[in-house]
Amino acid sequence: MVKFLKPNKAVIVLQGRYAGRKAVIVKSFDEGTRDRPYGHCLVAGIKKYPNKVIRKDSSKKTAKKSRVKCFLKLVNYQHVMPTRYTLDVDLKDVVAVDCLQSKDKKVSACKATKEKLEERFKTGKNRICTLY
Amino acid sequence: MVATKKTKKTHESINNRLALVMKSGKYTLGYKTVLKSLRSSKGKLIIIANNCPPLRKSEIEYYAMLCKVGVHHYNGNNVDLGTACGKYFRVCCLSIIDPGDSDIIKSMPGDH
Repeated sequence: MVKFLKPNKAVIVLQGRYAGRKAVIVKSFDEGTRDRPYGHCLVAGIKKYPNKVIRKDSSKKTAKKSRVKCFLKLVNYQHVMPTRYTLDVDLKDVVAVDCLQSKDKKVSACKATKEKLEERFKTGKNRICTLY
Repeated sequence: MVATKKTKKTHESINNRLALVMKSGKYTLGYKTVLKSLRSSKGKLIIIANNCPPLRKSEIEYYAMLCKVGVHHYNGNNVDLGTACGKYFRVCCLSIIDPGDSDIIKSMPGDH
């Protein structure tokens, strides 16, 4: 009886092109909107995970391997598996629903979330719930 | 021998309570609606039949754990659970939204 599909919840996308990818809920719409009359949420997830880094790699190579590619998507609740983990990354000011209207807004929002997720990856915090 | 008698008694009492819920309360039957009721935090008690596929059972239990909602593993398969609900079809899992006159929610979660 506790709502759990709240912002900052780590989820796994189950269907679509990004099936199997981990994501974070940025904003949830429980009652739906007029365009989407079902419960859905705006998620920011990882399109391309960072690669494994070995000791032999030069710093240029580690920088290249530690990159993360993000996606933003409105997903139906049914196509998402919630987990018990949360990721406290402040994406609310970066990502909004109107970001998805136009291509360039979406790209800039993706770039901003990419920075936030990359810095979180590099600090090595959230080891249990990393999105990686 | 005493143990089996006891389980038979509690089993009948679950059936009685379920029958009362069917008559006076609100419920949903079926996996899809059970998950829907858990997501919208409307479900108050989930009952799962014993021949539910283990992946589905653990998925429902995980959702219920996130929701802090009790899960009761019914002592019978989906055919029995459907009969207990008074339906002529099989019911693998059901969610009680409003117990009505029944006290199933107060007495069952200790059972698990």
